[in-house]
Amino acid sequence: MSLTDDRAALDQWYTLGALQDFPAGAEVPSRLLGEDLTVRRLTDDVEVRAAGRALPVRTDYGHLWTSFGTPERDLFELPESREPDRRWIHCGPVRVRASGLRLVENFLDLAHFPYVHTDILGSEAHPEVARYEVEQRRDVDELWATKCEFYQPKAAAASDEGQISKYMYRVVSPFNVMLYKTPPTAPDRWDVIALFVQPADEAVSVAHAFMLVIDLTSTDAELSAFQQMIFVQDKIVLENQRPSLLPLQPGRETPTRADLSSVLYRRWLKEKQLRFGTEPRTDLQSTDLPHA
Amino acid sequence: MADWIPIALSRDVPVGITRAVIVDTREVMIWRGEDGVAQVWEDRCPHRGMRLSLGFVRGNALNCLYHGWQYGAGANCLRIPAHPDLTVPPTIRANAYAATETGGMVWMSSDSADPPPLLPALTPVITLAIEAAPERVLAALGGSTAEPLIGLPFAGGTLQLGWHRAHAAKTMLHATGAGADIAAATAHLRALRQSLEQEAAA
Ligand code: FES
Ligand SMILES: [Fe+2]
Repeated sequence: MSLTDDRAALDQWYTLGALQDFPAGAEVPSRLLGEDLTVRRLTDDVEVRAAGRALPVRTDYGHLWTSFGTPERDLFELPESREPDRRWIHCGPVRVRASGLRLVENFLDLAHFPYVHTDILGSEAHPEVARYEVEQRRDVDELWATKCEFYQPKAAAASDEGQISKYMYRVVSPFNVMLYKTPPTAPDRWDVIALFVQPADEAVSVAHAFMLVIDLTSTDAELSAFQQMIFVQDKIVLENQRPSLLPLQPGRETPTRADLSSVLYRRWLKEKQLRFGTEPRTDLQSTDLPHA
Repeated sequence: MADWIPIALSRDVPVGITRAVIVDTREVMIWRGEDGVAQVWEDRCPHRGMRLSLGFVRGNALNCLYHGWQYGAGANCLRIPAHPDLTVPPTIRANAYAATETGGMVWMSSDSADPPPLLPALTPVITLAIEAAPERVLAALGGSTAEPLIGLPFAGGTLQLGWHRAHAAKTMLHATGAGADIAAATAHLRALRQSLEQEAAA
Protein backbone atom coordinates (compact mmCIF):
# COMPACT_ATOMS: atom_id res chain seq x y z
CA MET A 1 0.00 0.00 0.00
CA SER A 2 1.27 3.50 -0.75
CA LEU A 3 0.16 7.03 0.09
CA THR A 4 -3.55 7.54 -0.47
CA ASP A 5 -4.77 9.92 -3.17
CA ASP A 6 -7.75 10.88 -1.03
CA ARG A 7 -7.61 14.68 -0.95
CA ALA A 8 -9.96 14.94 2.04
CA ALA A 9 -7.66 12.68 4.07
CA LEU A 10 -4.43 14.29 2.91
CA ASP A 11 -5.51 17.82 3.86
CA GLN A 12 -5.76 17.10 7.61
CA TRP A 13 -3.50 17.27 10.66
CA TYR A 14 -2.51 13.94 12.19
CA THR A 15 -0.62 13.13 15.33
CA LEU A 16 2.34 10.74 15.14
CA GLY A 17 2.46 10.45 18.93
CA ALA A 18 3.40 12.22 22.13
CA LEU A 19 6.55 14.35 21.81
CA GLN A 20 8.04 12.51 24.78
CA ASP A 21 8.09 9.33 22.65
CA PHE A 22 10.58 10.83 20.19
CA PRO A 23 13.98 10.94 21.89
CA ALA A 24 16.34 13.73 20.82
CA GLY A 25 18.82 12.68 18.18
CA ALA A 26 17.07 9.42 17.27
CA GLU A 27 15.43 8.65 13.96
CA VAL A 28 12.04 7.03 14.49
CA PRO A 29 10.09 5.35 11.66
CA SER A 30 6.36 5.99 11.49
CA ARG A 31 3.50 5.51 9.08
CA LEU A 32 0.54 7.60 7.98
CA LEU A 33 -2.15 7.17 5.30
CA GLY A 34 -0.31 4.24 3.74
CA GLU A 35 3.10 5.92 3.56
CA ASP A 36 6.30 5.42 5.60
CA LEU A 37 7.70 8.43 7.43
CA THR A 38 10.82 9.27 9.39
CA VAL A 39 10.73 11.49 12.45
CA ARG A 40 13.89 13.17 13.67
CA ARG A 41 13.91 15.14 16.87
CA LEU A 42 16.64 17.74 17.00
CA THR A 43 17.12 19.75 20.17
CA ASP A 44 14.23 22.14 19.66
CA ASP A 45 12.98 21.10 16.29
CA VAL A 46 11.25 18.09 14.90
CA GLU A 47 11.63 17.01 11.32
CA VAL A 48 9.16 14.72 9.55
CA ARG A 49 10.08 13.36 6.12
CA ALA A 50 8.29 11.14 3.64
CA ALA A 51 9.79 10.00 0.34
CA GLY A 52 12.54 12.63 0.66
CA ARG A 53 10.08 15.46 1.27
CA ALA A 54 9.88 17.51 4.49
CA LEU A 55 6.33 17.75 5.85
CA PRO A 56 4.84 20.57 7.95
CA VAL A 57 5.14 20.05 11.69
CA ARG A 58 3.25 21.26 14.79
CA THR A 59 4.04 20.45 18.41
CA ASP A 60 0.85 21.55 20.17
CA TYR A 61 -0.64 19.80 23.22
CA GLY A 62 2.43 17.70 23.87
CA HIS A 63 2.03 15.90 20.56
CA LEU A 64 3.75 15.83 17.23
CA TRP A 65 1.44 16.73 14.33
CA THR A 66 1.97 16.60 10.60
CA SER A 67 0.13 16.69 7.28
CA PHE A 68 0.73 15.55 3.71
CA GLY A 69 -1.44 18.27 2.25
CA THR A 70 -2.68 21.73 3.03
CA PRO A 71 -5.19 21.60 5.88
CA GLU A 72 -8.00 24.09 5.49
CA ARG A 73 -7.70 25.11 9.15
CA ASP A 74 -4.98 25.26 11.68
CA LEU A 75 -4.91 22.72 14.48
CA PHE A 76 -8.00 22.73 16.73
CA GLU A 77 -8.22 24.81 19.91
CA LEU A 78 -7.88 23.12 23.29
CA PRO A 79 -8.33 25.88 25.90
CA GLU A 80 -8.09 23.41 28.80
CA SER A 81 -4.43 22.91 27.91
CA ARG A 82 -3.77 26.40 29.33
CA GLU A 83 -5.33 25.69 32.75
CA PRO A 84 -2.47 25.34 35.26
CA ASP A 85 -4.12 22.75 37.55
CA ARG A 86 -4.69 20.15 34.81
CA ARG A 87 -2.64 16.99 34.80
CA TRP A 88 -1.38 15.87 31.42
CA ILE A 89 -1.50 12.11 31.04
CA HIS A 90 -0.40 10.25 27.93
CA CYS A 91 -1.69 6.71 27.59
CA GLY A 92 -0.74 5.41 24.21
CA PRO A 93 0.18 4.33 21.68
CA VAL A 94 -2.00 1.29 21.01
CA ARG A 95 -2.02 -0.39 17.62
CA VAL A 96 -5.47 -1.50 16.46
CA ARG A 97 -6.28 -3.51 13.35
CA ALA A 98 -9.29 -1.47 12.29
CA SER A 99 -10.15 1.70 10.43
CA GLY A 100 -9.40 4.83 12.45
CA LEU A 101 -12.95 5.95 11.71
CA ARG A 102 -14.25 2.88 13.57
CA LEU A 103 -12.09 3.97 16.54
CA VAL A 104 -13.59 7.44 16.54
CA GLU A 105 -17.11 6.08 16.24
CA ASN A 106 -16.53 3.71 19.15
CA PHE A 107 -15.18 6.59 21.20
CA LEU A 108 -18.45 8.49 20.57
CA ASP A 109 -20.59 5.56 21.65
CA LEU A 110 -22.34 5.35 25.03
CA ALA A 111 -24.43 2.23 24.43
CA HIS A 112 -21.51 -0.20 24.68
CA PHE A 113 -20.49 0.79 28.22
CA PRO A 114 -22.55 -1.89 30.02
CA TYR A 115 -21.31 -4.68 27.74
CA VAL A 116 -17.72 -3.82 26.89
CA HIS A 117 -16.78 -1.96 30.08
CA THR A 118 -19.03 -3.98 32.39
CA ASP A 119 -19.23 -2.70 35.99
CA ILE A 120 -16.79 0.11 35.22
CA LEU A 121 -18.24 2.59 32.71
CA GLY A 122 -21.64 0.90 32.64
CA SER A 123 -23.74 -1.81 34.19
CA GLU A 124 -26.10 -4.27 32.56
CA ALA A 125 -28.80 -3.13 34.99
CA HIS A 126 -28.68 0.42 33.53
CA PRO A 127 -28.21 0.11 29.75
CA GLU A 128 -30.56 2.91 28.67
CA VAL A 129 -29.16 5.73 26.54
CA ALA A 130 -31.17 8.86 27.17
CA ARG A 131 -31.83 11.27 24.33
CA TYR A 132 -28.88 13.57 23.66
CA GLU A 133 -28.17 16.30 21.13
CA VAL A 134 -25.74 16.42 18.24
CA GLU A 135 -24.91 19.43 16.13
CA GLN A 136 -22.47 20.37 13.45
CA ARG A 137 -20.84 23.68 14.38
CA ARG A 138 -20.28 25.18 10.96
CA ASP A 139 -18.04 28.06 12.11
CA VAL A 140 -15.35 25.70 13.42
CA ASP A 141 -16.39 22.65 11.37
CA GLU A 142 -16.71 20.48 14.46
CA LEU A 143 -19.27 17.93 15.51
CA TRP A 144 -20.59 18.22 19.08
CA ALA A 145 -22.73 15.78 21.06
CA THR A 146 -24.09 17.34 24.23
CA LYS A 147 -26.43 16.51 27.13
CA CYS A 148 -25.19 12.92 27.24
CA GLU A 149 -25.84 11.16 30.54
CA PHE A 150 -25.04 7.66 31.61
CA TYR A 151 -25.05 5.67 34.83
CA GLN A 152 -21.51 4.51 35.65
CA PRO A 153 -20.43 2.17 38.47
CA LYS A 154 -16.80 3.39 38.31
CA ALA A 155 -16.54 6.47 36.12
CA ALA A 156 -12.84 7.21 36.66
CA ALA A 157 -9.74 6.06 38.52
CA ALA A 158 -10.72 8.17 41.57
CA SER A 159 -14.37 6.96 41.79
CA ASP A 160 -15.43 4.88 44.75
CA GLU A 161 -19.15 4.75 43.98
CA GLY A 162 -21.56 4.84 41.05
CA GLN A 163 -22.70 8.13 39.54
CA ILE A 164 -24.67 9.54 36.65
CA SER A 165 -21.86 10.92 34.50
CA LYS A 166 -22.40 13.83 32.16
CA TYR A 167 -20.54 13.78 28.87
CA MET A 168 -19.93 16.02 25.90
CA TYR A 169 -18.19 14.82 22.78
CA ARG A 170 -16.32 16.93 20.29
CA VAL A 171 -15.05 15.70 16.93
CA VAL A 172 -12.51 18.21 15.65
CA SER A 173 -11.47 16.34 12.50
CA PRO A 174 -12.26 12.92 11.02
CA PHE A 175 -9.56 11.18 13.08
CA ASN A 176 -9.37 13.38 16.19
CA VAL A 177 -11.96 13.39 18.91
CA MET A 178 -12.30 14.28 22.57
CA LEU A 179 -14.79 13.95 25.35
CA TYR A 180 -15.59 16.14 28.31
CA LYS A 181 -16.72 14.40 31.41
CA THR A 182 -17.57 15.45 34.97
CA PRO A 183 -14.71 14.37 37.27
CA PRO A 184 -15.75 12.60 40.50
CA THR A 185 -13.80 15.18 42.55
CA ALA A 186 -14.73 18.45 40.79
CA PRO A 187 -18.36 18.31 39.61
CA ASP A 188 -18.30 21.91 38.34
CA ARG A 189 -15.53 21.28 35.78
CA TRP A 190 -14.88 18.93 32.89
CA ASP A 191 -12.12 16.39 32.49
CA VAL A 192 -10.88 16.15 28.92
CA ILE A 193 -10.05 12.80 27.37
CA ALA A 194 -8.81 12.94 23.80
CA LEU A 195 -8.34 10.18 21.28
CA PHE A 196 -5.92 11.17 18.53
CA VAL A 197 -5.93 8.48 15.86
CA GLN A 198 -2.99 7.99 13.54
CA PRO A 199 -4.39 6.15 10.51
CA ALA A 200 -1.33 4.15 9.43
CA ASP A 201 -3.22 2.21 6.76
CA GLU A 202 -6.89 1.99 5.87
CA ALA A 203 -7.47 -0.82 8.37
CA VAL A 204 -4.51 -0.30 10.74
CA SER A 205 -4.54 2.52 13.26
CA VAL A 206 -2.49 3.74 16.16
CA ALA A 207 -4.50 5.21 19.01
CA HIS A 208 -2.96 7.96 21.12
CA ALA A 209 -5.10 8.65 24.16
CA PHE A 210 -4.43 11.82 26.07
CA MET A 211 -6.04 13.21 29.21
CA LEU A 212 -6.18 16.64 30.76
CA VAL A 213 -7.70 15.86 34.12
CA ILE A 214 -8.45 17.29 37.51
CA ASP A 215 -7.61 14.59 40.01
CA LEU A 216 -5.79 15.28 43.26
CA THR A 217 -5.58 11.72 44.49
CA SER A 218 -4.64 9.25 41.75
CA THR A 219 -1.06 8.82 40.56
CA ASP A 220 -0.13 9.26 36.89
CA ALA A 221 0.36 5.51 36.67
CA GLU A 222 -3.14 4.86 38.07
CA LEU A 223 -4.74 7.32 35.68
CA SER A 224 -2.99 5.89 32.67
CA ALA A 225 -3.60 2.27 33.75
CA PHE A 226 -7.33 2.97 34.08
CA GLN A 227 -7.52 4.40 30.58
CA GLN A 228 -5.44 1.57 29.14
CA MET A 229 -7.68 -1.06 30.72
CA ILE A 230 -10.68 0.63 29.10
CA PHE A 231 -8.97 0.81 25.74
CA VAL A 232 -7.89 -2.82 25.74
CA GLN A 233 -11.57 -3.72 26.14
CA ASP A 234 -12.44 -1.49 23.18
CA LYS A 235 -9.67 -3.00 21.07
CA ILE A 236 -11.29 -6.45 21.27
CA VAL A 237 -14.49 -5.04 19.82
CA LEU A 238 -12.77 -2.88 17.22
CA GLU A 239 -10.73 -5.73 15.77
CA ASN A 240 -13.84 -7.87 15.45
CA GLN A 241 -16.15 -5.50 13.62
CA ARG A 242 -16.98 -6.44 10.04
CA PRO A 243 -16.10 -4.90 7.77
CA SER A 244 -13.01 -3.34 9.38
CA LEU A 245 -13.56 -0.27 7.19
CA LEU A 246 -16.38 2.07 8.12
CA PRO A 247 -19.44 1.50 5.89
CA LEU A 248 -21.00 4.74 4.62
CA GLN A 249 -23.48 3.03 2.34
CA PRO A 250 -27.05 3.38 3.61
CA GLY A 251 -28.54 0.14 4.92
CA ARG A 252 -25.23 -1.60 5.63
CA GLU A 253 -25.73 -1.19 9.37
CA THR A 254 -28.69 -0.45 11.63
CA PRO A 255 -28.51 2.75 13.67
CA THR A 256 -31.04 3.56 16.39
CA ARG A 257 -31.60 6.78 18.33
CA ALA A 258 -28.65 5.97 20.62
CA ASP A 259 -26.43 6.04 17.51
CA LEU A 260 -27.27 9.62 16.63
CA SER A 261 -23.66 10.77 16.96
CA SER A 262 -22.58 7.96 14.63
CA VAL A 263 -25.24 8.91 12.10
CA LEU A 264 -24.13 12.54 12.05
CA TYR A 265 -20.44 11.62 12.08
CA ARG A 266 -20.96 9.47 8.95
CA ARG A 267 -22.96 12.23 7.29
CA TRP A 268 -20.17 14.72 8.07
CA LEU A 269 -17.55 12.34 6.59
CA LYS A 270 -19.66 11.97 3.43
CA GLU A 271 -19.95 15.73 3.17
CA LYS A 272 -16.16 15.93 3.29
CA GLN A 273 -15.99 13.14 0.69
CA LEU A 274 -13.55 11.28 2.89
CA ARG A 275 -12.64 7.83 1.56
CA PHE A 276 -9.60 6.68 3.55
CA GLY A 277 -10.79 4.07 6.07
CA THR A 278 -14.26 3.75 4.54
CA GLU A 279 -15.74 0.70 2.86
CA PRO A 280 -15.89 0.99 -0.96
CA ARG A 281 -19.45 1.85 -1.96
CA THR A 282 -21.46 0.02 -4.57
CA ASP A 283 -24.51 2.28 -4.56
CA LEU A 284 -23.04 5.27 -6.40
CA GLN A 285 -22.86 6.05 -10.10
CA SER A 286 -19.51 5.01 -11.58
CA THR A 287 -18.75 8.67 -12.34
CA ASP A 288 -18.72 9.59 -8.67
CA LEU A 289 -17.63 6.26 -7.23
CA PRO A 290 -15.21 7.20 -4.44
CA HIS A 291 -13.06 4.09 -4.77
CA ALA A 292 -12.85 4.12 -8.58
CA MET B 1 -22.08 -22.42 -3.01
CA ALA B 2 -22.95 -26.11 -3.10
CA ASP B 3 -26.24 -26.92 -1.43
CA TRP B 4 -25.87 -28.51 2.02
CA ILE B 5 -22.43 -28.26 3.56
CA PRO B 6 -21.20 -29.93 6.76
CA ILE B 7 -19.38 -27.24 8.76
CA ALA B 8 -18.72 -28.74 12.22
CA LEU B 9 -19.15 -31.77 14.41
CA SER B 10 -22.30 -31.41 16.52
CA ARG B 11 -20.32 -32.47 19.57
CA ASP B 12 -18.12 -29.37 19.22
CA VAL B 13 -21.10 -27.02 19.59
CA PRO B 14 -22.58 -27.81 23.02
CA VAL B 15 -25.51 -25.89 24.50
CA GLY B 16 -24.62 -22.30 25.44
CA ILE B 17 -21.67 -22.09 23.06
CA THR B 18 -20.83 -19.98 20.00
CA ARG B 19 -18.35 -21.07 17.37
CA ALA B 20 -16.81 -19.17 14.44
CA VAL B 21 -16.33 -21.06 11.15
CA ILE B 22 -14.98 -19.90 7.80
CA VAL B 23 -16.97 -21.40 4.92
CA ASP B 24 -15.66 -20.62 1.48
CA THR B 25 -14.04 -17.39 2.81
CA ARG B 26 -17.30 -16.31 4.46
CA GLU B 27 -17.36 -15.75 8.21
CA VAL B 28 -20.25 -17.68 9.73
CA MET B 29 -21.02 -18.66 13.30
CA ILE B 30 -22.87 -21.48 15.00
CA TRP B 31 -24.60 -21.23 18.35
CA ARG B 32 -26.82 -23.51 20.37
CA GLY B 33 -29.36 -22.32 22.93
CA GLU B 34 -31.09 -24.25 25.68
CA ASP B 35 -33.61 -25.71 23.23
CA GLY B 36 -30.69 -27.68 21.75
CA VAL B 37 -31.19 -26.45 18.18
CA ALA B 38 -28.02 -25.43 16.30
CA GLN B 39 -28.26 -22.04 14.52
CA VAL B 40 -25.95 -20.97 11.70
CA TRP B 41 -25.73 -17.21 11.07
CA GLU B 42 -23.53 -14.75 9.30
CA ASP B 43 -20.85 -13.77 11.83
CA ARG B 44 -21.83 -10.11 11.83
CA CYS B 45 -24.29 -8.17 13.94
CA PRO B 46 -26.55 -6.00 11.78
CA HIS B 47 -26.23 -3.12 14.26
CA ARG B 48 -22.55 -2.17 13.96
CA GLY B 49 -20.95 -5.25 12.42
CA MET B 50 -19.61 -6.92 15.56
CA ARG B 51 -18.80 -10.61 15.08
CA LEU B 52 -21.63 -12.49 16.75
CA SER B 53 -19.33 -15.41 17.59
CA LEU B 54 -17.92 -13.20 20.37
CA GLY B 55 -21.41 -12.83 21.79
CA PHE B 56 -22.94 -14.85 24.59
CA VAL B 57 -25.84 -17.27 24.77
CA ARG B 58 -28.49 -16.92 27.47
CA GLY B 59 -31.41 -19.31 27.41
CA ASN B 60 -32.56 -19.45 23.82
CA ALA B 61 -31.11 -16.12 22.79
CA LEU B 62 -27.80 -14.86 21.46
CA ASN B 63 -26.53 -11.53 22.76
CA CYS B 64 -24.08 -9.39 20.85
CA LEU B 65 -21.00 -8.44 22.84
CA TYR B 66 -20.87 -4.84 21.67
CA HIS B 67 -24.22 -3.32 22.69
CA GLY B 68 -26.07 -6.35 23.98
CA TRP B 69 -28.66 -6.59 21.20
CA GLN B 70 -30.50 -9.84 21.77
CA TYR B 71 -31.52 -12.21 18.98
CA GLY B 72 -33.96 -15.09 19.24
CA ALA B 73 -33.69 -18.47 17.54
CA GLY B 74 -35.59 -17.07 14.54
CA ALA B 75 -32.77 -14.50 14.07
CA ASN B 76 -35.09 -11.59 14.86
CA CYS B 77 -33.87 -8.96 17.28
CA LEU B 78 -35.83 -9.20 20.54
CA ARG B 79 -34.27 -6.45 22.59
CA ILE B 80 -32.14 -3.34 22.19
CA PRO B 81 -30.90 -2.57 25.71
CA ALA B 82 -30.15 1.11 24.97
CA HIS B 83 -33.91 1.51 24.35
CA PRO B 84 -35.56 -0.77 26.93
CA ASP B 85 -39.09 0.35 26.05
CA LEU B 86 -38.74 -0.07 22.31
CA THR B 87 -40.70 -2.78 20.53
CA VAL B 88 -38.05 -3.87 18.06
CA PRO B 89 -39.29 -3.75 14.44
CA PRO B 90 -39.36 -7.24 12.86
CA THR B 91 -37.14 -5.99 10.04
CA ILE B 92 -34.14 -5.97 12.40
CA ARG B 93 -32.67 -9.44 12.18
CA ALA B 94 -29.42 -11.34 11.97
CA ASN B 95 -28.61 -13.00 8.67
CA ALA B 96 -29.46 -16.68 9.20
CA TYR B 97 -28.61 -19.62 6.97
CA ALA B 98 -30.68 -22.77 6.78
CA ALA B 99 -29.21 -25.26 9.26
CA THR B 100 -29.71 -28.87 10.21
CA GLU B 101 -27.93 -31.67 12.04
CA THR B 102 -27.48 -35.17 10.78
CA GLY B 103 -24.76 -37.83 10.99
CA GLY B 104 -23.25 -36.08 14.00
CA MET B 105 -22.53 -32.92 11.98
CA VAL B 106 -23.96 -29.39 11.72
CA TRP B 107 -24.90 -28.54 8.12
CA MET B 108 -25.69 -25.22 6.49
CA SER B 109 -27.18 -24.13 3.20
CA SER B 110 -27.43 -20.74 1.52
CA ASP B 111 -30.51 -21.51 -0.54
CA SER B 112 -31.88 -24.72 1.04
CA ALA B 113 -33.72 -25.53 -2.19
CA ASP B 114 -33.03 -29.23 -1.68
CA PRO B 115 -34.00 -31.03 1.51
CA PRO B 116 -31.08 -31.67 3.86
CA PRO B 117 -29.40 -35.07 3.76
CA LEU B 118 -30.56 -37.77 6.17
CA LEU B 119 -27.81 -39.83 7.72
CA PRO B 120 -27.74 -42.40 10.50
CA ALA B 121 -26.28 -41.30 13.83
CA LEU B 122 -22.50 -41.45 13.59
CA THR B 123 -19.90 -41.19 16.33
CA PRO B 124 -17.83 -37.97 16.17
CA VAL B 125 -14.10 -38.51 15.81
CA ILE B 126 -12.37 -35.19 15.14
CA THR B 127 -12.42 -32.02 13.02
CA LEU B 128 -9.12 -31.42 11.25
CA ALA B 129 -7.93 -28.31 9.43
CA ILE B 130 -5.73 -29.21 6.48
CA GLU B 131 -3.56 -26.59 4.80
CA ALA B 132 -4.24 -27.86 1.28
CA ALA B 133 -6.81 -27.21 -1.45
CA PRO B 134 -10.01 -29.29 -1.20
CA GLU B 135 -9.47 -30.57 -4.77
CA ARG B 136 -6.15 -32.07 -3.71
CA VAL B 137 -7.49 -33.47 -0.42
CA LEU B 138 -10.53 -35.07 -2.05
CA ALA B 139 -8.47 -36.58 -4.86
CA ALA B 140 -6.10 -38.11 -2.31
CA LEU B 141 -8.91 -39.50 -0.15
CA GLY B 142 -11.00 -40.82 -3.02
CA GLY B 143 -13.80 -38.25 -2.60
CA SER B 144 -15.48 -35.87 -5.01
CA THR B 145 -16.02 -32.11 -4.71
CA ALA B 146 -19.60 -32.76 -5.85
CA GLU B 147 -20.31 -34.82 -2.73
CA PRO B 148 -20.35 -33.53 0.86
CA LEU B 149 -19.10 -36.82 2.33
CA ILE B 150 -16.07 -39.02 1.76
CA GLY B 151 -16.18 -42.71 2.69
CA LEU B 152 -12.70 -43.55 3.95
CA PRO B 153 -11.91 -47.24 4.52
CA PHE B 154 -10.40 -47.74 7.96
CA ALA B 155 -9.71 -50.86 10.04
CA GLY B 156 -12.22 -53.02 8.21
CA GLY B 157 -14.97 -50.36 8.45
CA THR B 158 -15.60 -46.94 6.92
CA LEU B 159 -15.14 -43.42 8.32
CA GLN B 160 -17.59 -40.85 7.00
CA LEU B 161 -15.76 -37.56 6.50
CA GLY B 162 -17.78 -34.40 5.98
CA TRP B 163 -15.71 -31.67 4.38
CA HIS B 164 -15.93 -27.97 3.67
CA ARG B 165 -13.76 -25.40 1.98
CA ALA B 166 -12.44 -22.74 4.36
CA HIS B 167 -10.66 -20.98 1.52
CA ALA B 168 -8.85 -21.96 -1.67
CA ALA B 169 -5.93 -23.58 0.17
CA LYS B 170 -7.56 -24.83 3.36
CA THR B 171 -9.87 -27.82 3.81
CA MET B 172 -11.83 -28.72 6.94
CA LEU B 173 -12.60 -32.40 7.54
CA HIS B 174 -15.27 -33.51 10.01
CA ALA B 175 -14.64 -37.16 10.73
CA THR B 176 -17.25 -39.57 12.06
CA GLY B 177 -17.50 -43.33 12.22
CA ALA B 178 -19.88 -46.05 13.35
CA GLY B 179 -18.19 -48.02 16.11
CA ALA B 180 -14.72 -46.81 15.11
CA ASP B 181 -11.83 -46.86 17.55
CA ILE B 182 -11.64 -43.10 18.06
CA ALA B 183 -8.00 -42.91 19.18
CA ALA B 184 -6.80 -45.08 16.29
CA ALA B 185 -8.96 -43.20 13.76
CA THR B 186 -7.68 -39.85 15.05
CA ALA B 187 -4.05 -40.98 14.74
CA HIS B 188 -4.71 -42.29 11.22
CA LEU B 189 -6.30 -38.98 10.14
CA ARG B 190 -3.50 -36.90 11.65
CA ALA B 191 -0.95 -38.92 9.70
CA LEU B 192 -3.01 -38.38 6.54
CA ARG B 193 -3.08 -34.65 7.20
CA GLN B 194 0.67 -34.54 7.60
CA SER B 195 1.34 -36.22 4.28
CA LEU B 196 -1.27 -34.06 2.50
CA GLU B 197 0.25 -30.85 3.86
CA GLN B 198 3.76 -31.95 2.97
CA GLU B 199 2.61 -32.70 -0.55
CA ALA B 200 0.81 -29.35 -0.83
CA ALA B 201 3.88 -27.47 0.40
CA ALA B 202 6.25 -29.32 -1.98
S1 FES C 1 -22.90 -4.34 17.05
FE1 FES C 1 -24.09 -5.89 17.88
S2 FES C 1 -25.26 -4.89 19.32
FE2 FES C 1 -24.16 -3.28 18.43
FE1 LIG D 1 -15.32 1.88 24.96
